Parts: sequence; C-alpha cells; structure tokens
Amino acid sequence: MDGAQRIVAGLESAGVTLAASVPDTWIGRLMAEVRRSARLRALDVAREEEAVAAACGAYLVGGRGAVLIQNAGLLNCGGILAGLVELYRIPCFFIVSLRGDDRDPVYYHAPKGRVTEETLRAWRLPYARADRQGDLTEQVRGGVESCVESRGPFVLLISGEDLA
Amino acid sequence: MTGRKPFLDGLVGLLTPDDILVSCLGANARYLPHMTVPAPVFALCDSMGAAIPLALGMALTRPDRRIVALEGDGSLLMSPNVLATVAAARPRNLTILLWVNRHYESSGGQALPDVTVDWLGVARACGIGHVWPVGDVEALRAAYREAVAAAPALVVLEVAFDPGESIPPYSERPEEIRARFASQMAAQGS
Repeated sequence: MDGAQRIVAGLESAGVTLAASVPDTWIGRLMAEVRRSARLRALDVAREEEAVAAACGAYLVGGRGAVLIQNAGLLNCGGILAGLVELYRIPCFFIVSLRGDDRDPVYYHAPKGRVTEETLRAWRLPYARADRQGDLTEQVRGGVESCVESRGPFVLLISGEDLA
Repeated sequence: MTGRKPFLDGLVGLLTPDDILVSCLGANARYLPHMTVPAPVFALCDSMGAAIPLALGMALTRPDRRIVALEGDGSLLMSPNVLATVAAARPRNLTILLWVNRHYESSGGQALPDVTVDWLGVARACGIGHVWPVGDVEALRAAYREAVAAAPALVVLEVAFDPGESIPPYSERPEEIRARFASQMAAQGS
C-alpha cells in the first residue's frame, strides 16, 4: 500500500465515517483515496471551519469525523477549535498538510510552514508528524482513538512524501 | 412583524421526537432550555456560523433522523459559503431556518452592515433551490412542512428586533448541553 492508502486504512480501522475536506494538492490526493473507500463518506466543504463543525456533528450522533485540510486552513480554525471542539470537548481528528517546511518545494508556502507547529503548541493542540517509516495506519488509528479518549482534537501533520 | 419567541414557540410545536434541533448561539439557544422541546437539542453558545455545518455532519451521519438547524443572519453573513456546501452534499434530511433581524442580538444588539441581503437569492445562487420567506407564525407552519419535504431547504424568517426583549441568560454550560443531548439521544435508543 502507498501512504495515502495506509492513512485511509487507519481512518477505516478507527471507525471514521465522515471525512470533511478542503483540498490542496496533497490533501486532494488523499481525498481521492478516501473516495475509493466504501466505509468513509467524503464531504467537500467550502471553508475549513465547516469541516470541523461537520466532523463534530458526526460524532455527536454516533459517527466519527475527520478533518482533512491544509495548514492554511488549520490557521483559520482557531475560533472554532476554541468555541466548539474545546468548549464542548468533542473528539476531532485532523490530517493537515504541512506546507512550507523544508520538504516543500513551493516557496509561497514557507510563511505557513514557519508558524504551523508553533501555532499548534500555542493553541495547546496535541499533534505529531506522520511517520511514514513506521506503521502509518496504526498512527492514524491511534490518533483517532486519542481524540475519543481525551474528548478533544489531535492533529497529524503530513507531507507529500507521506502519501507515496 | 413577528417577534422571536412566537416563532420559536411555533417551531417547537412542529417538531417531533424523530427530529434533532441544532441551534446557533444567542437568543434561541438561551430560550430553548426553558421550553418543552419534543426533540433532542444541541445548542451552541459560541462559534458563529457553526450551526449549519454541524447539522450537516449530523444529517449525513444519521439519514434516519430529520435535522433542523437554526442560524442567525449575522452568523450566516460571515460564512455564507456553507450554503454551497449543503447544496453540494444534498442531505435530504436537513432543513435550515434563518432568523433575520439585522442585528447581532446576543452581543448587545449592534446592527449588521447596513445592507438588505437577499437571502433567498443568495441561497438559490448557492444551489439551494427550495427556499421560503416567512413573515408570521402561520406562514412558518406552512413553509416548514413544505421545506421538510423538499430538503435540503431554507426557510427565511423575518424577525422583529426588540432591543428591550427579556431574553433569559445561558442556563446550561457546554458540558451540560452536550450531556443532555447525549442522554436525549440515548433515551431514544439512538
């Protein structure tokens, strides 16, 4: 399996039912794999905060939601993370493309890359970088489960290489 | 023009135990704990603009339930994109009621930007073809029944703004709202 398939397998094994997304190049590749899943409902949203709310709504009625967005979109989500996910203590699993780090060849993503992890720490969001040398499927499954156990968010940062 | 509370009373009278009601922050969320609502209620006390996408997530997850989302014009004005998202997802069990009073009521009654937004036109332009304007409770009853049958649909309520309205304060903490919603769902075996 390639990385995208392993990530989707992790979502499936964790019982995720709804994958809400605003795509970029990398997340778009991942969502293409999501759409091949018979167990995941892909939801295309117009803005990232919608994805967070939709994932929370899924959880509240017995499903499990995941949010698949770029780091630019994550930076949009401070308000809803505080005012919905954290305030109501709702599990919410994020897969976020980490654009602009030293593995990203596209120059205009660099400002986002410089602030993403510092922002996650400032917002006190638990996060990890994808470990493509390890068991990526288990890392995804474990991330979803940690959301459920902590009743809060978890962010898995991915790069384009992780999907290969 | 009809006030908020008569509209809310009229809506609650239309709900059934098979419905799920999602309320935006503000006056509706503050009134609802004091009302006898036959359906589970999940009310927001923050996060403007979250009610409709949250209801959408519920609708797609539970196609066996009818989801009713309440949103205010101030909230939707900052996130009208969600109408396109709903139209694309085509949930046959999601009905949206937009409460238009042209004020940020819960933050002190400040006026919205001084334009008259054509919400019916906005919704149609975003792909939601089933829209109804409502000016009184009787019209709400008629439009609601049609909207539920035609979902996804939007009902636009023209609501009188009363700066002196005595709206009860928030009476539940978010944890309590969430727990009560979960217990209401569990009591229904959902």
